[in-house]
Parts: sequence; structure tokens; C-alpha cells
Amino acid sequence: MAGQSQSIQTLLEAEKDAQKVVQQARQHRTQRLKDARSEATKEIEAYKAQKEQEFKAYEASHAGNTQSVQATVDKETNAKLAAISQQFDESRDAVVKKLLDRVVLVEPELHRNLKKLGA
Amino acid sequence: MASRPMNDEEVLSEMNKMVAFIKQEALEKAREIRVKADEEFAIEKAKLVKQEQQAIDAQYEKKRKGAEVAQKIAHSTLTNKSRLRLLHLREQNLQDLFQAAREQLATLASSSQYVQFLQGVLVQGFLQLLDTEVNIHVREVDAAAAKQAADAASKQYTEISGRQVKYELVTSLSPDLAGGIKLVTGSKRITLDNTLDERLRLLEDRMLPEIRNDLYGNNENRKFYT
Repeated sequence: MAGQSQSIQTLLEAEKDAQKVVQQARQHRTQRLKDARSEATKEIEAYKAQKEQEFKAYEASHAGNTQSVQATVDKETNAKLAAISQQFDESRDAVVKKLLDRVVLVEPELHRNLKKLGA
Repeated sequence: MASRPMNDEEVLSEMNKMVAFIKQEALEKAREIRVKADEEFAIEKAKLVKQEQQAIDAQYEKKRKGAEVAQKIAHSTLTNKSRLRLLHLREQNLQDLFQAAREQLATLASSSQYVQFLQGVLVQGFLQLLDTEVNIHVREVDAAAAKQAADAASKQYTEISGRQVKYELVTSLSPDLAGGIKLVTGSKRITLDNTLDERLRLLEDRMLPEIRNDLYGNNENRKFYT
């Protein structure tokens, strides 16, 4: 009957359409995987940029720190230098005198292992 | 169920039913695929992001540690430089002091106690050498004073040690020296330098702890003093 082949035709076409639908779904899946990768990359970039900013802020803050520490240390050092100079000026002459006095200070002794040779 | 063959209407209706069935199955399958795809999308994306985030975190942690260490090094260098400046000044002061002492050394040779000093220094020398024959080296300007001192010195030496010494004066010392004597044993093997310059030099070295205390006071960082 001619109707039969037509029916079969119709069924075959329906099957084809069905396959097309499924095919589209599969394409969608592939696309989704690609999307996953590209979106992930975007998010990662954003994260990295944020971290970079945080780090730069941290660096800036402690560069300032080093400067201030240096200033403090310098001030302290200069104060100490002044103190040293002052102490030195005060006691210098006394020490020079002490040195010179001791240069001429002599106390001759016989070595402790020796005995005076008696006559 | 019809036991007779279907008519056209029934065939059509059956056909439509079958077509609809096929379509329905396809739609359901497609939906499953889509849902699964979305799930996988989410999982995959989360995995990638987490992976990279961890790597980035580790990277920045390392950078941060590096920066911290660099800062510590910088601070330590500052402290060190500061200490060096202080020490440098102290050293300069010390040299200044010694220089002043050396300059004033010459005045000692013209003092009234000079002969007595020469005598003491001679006796000290004799007692160290313990030789029976000694050459006494002096500056030309000291020749007379030395002769006087040597007589008394040899007597004092005998008194202290019970030994005799025979000496000879040699005016060989350079006039640039500040004063004092050098003794050489008879066999010319041992020299004893008892000049003012040498004595000052020895003192400069040995008196350093005492000088430090006199100039700058005790060291606060030091824990043990005998």
C-alpha cells in the first residue's frame, strides 16, 4: 500500500528531527564546557588583579615604615654621638695625665722564683 | 484491539501518536543532556578557578614573605651602620688621646724626676736580664743623667738581687725618641726596650679597658665584671 511507505517516511522524518534536537543539546554541552573555561579564566584574572593590588598596598605601607625607622635610628645615633663626644671631652685630659704618670711609674722587682743571693 | 485492518483515520492517529512519542523522547533526552551540561559547567569552572586561586595565593604569599625579609634586612643594616658610626667616633677619640699623650711625652724627659726614672727603669731592666754584662743605650742628651742613674741603679740591683752587673753606656739612641733606655745583654742577643715611647705604647694597649671606663663609664651591655 502506498500509505505504508508514506507512514514509514513520516516516521523516519520524525526520527531525523529527534536526532537533530538531541544533537543540538550535545552542541550546547560542548559550548558549555568552553564557556566554563573562558569564564573561569576571567574570574581568575579578576582575582589575580585584586591580589596584586593588595600586595602593592602592603608594599607601599612598609616602604614608608623603613623610612621612618631610618629617621628614628639616625636621630638616636646622633644623640649618642653627641653624648660620646661630651663624655670624651670631659675626661680626656685626666686620662692623658693618667697615661703619662704611669709611663714613669716603675717598681722594679726580682722575679718571684728567684732568691736574693746571700753573701 | 481491532481485529480488522485499520482505516485511514486510525492509521493517521497512530502515526501521530508515534511521531509525538519520538519527539517526546528526544526532548526528554535533550533536556537531560542540557541539565547535565550545566552541572558539569559549574563543577569544571569551580575547579579551574579554585586551582588557579591557590596557585596565585601561594605566589603572593611568597612575594610577601620576600618583602618582609627584605625589610628586616634593611632594618638590620641600619642598626649595624649606626653601631659602626658610634664605634668609629670612639676609635677617633682614642687615637686623639694617644696622640696627645705622645706629644707630651717629651716633657717627661725634662722633669726633675727624670734621673730617678732612669734609675728605676735601669734596675727594672737589670732584674729582667739578669746578665753580668750589659750595654746601656741612651740618647746623647741623656748621657750625663744616665751615668748618674746607672751608678745608683747597679747598686740598687745588687741590693735587691745579690748579683753584680757591669755596664757600659752607649749613646746610640736617636734624638727623636722621648727618652728612656735600651738594654742589650753582653752577648748582644737580648734587647730590652725601656724607652718612654715603648712604655707608652705598651700602656696604650694594656690600659684599654681602664681607659674605656674612665672615658665612657661602664658598658651597660656587659654582664660580668670580675
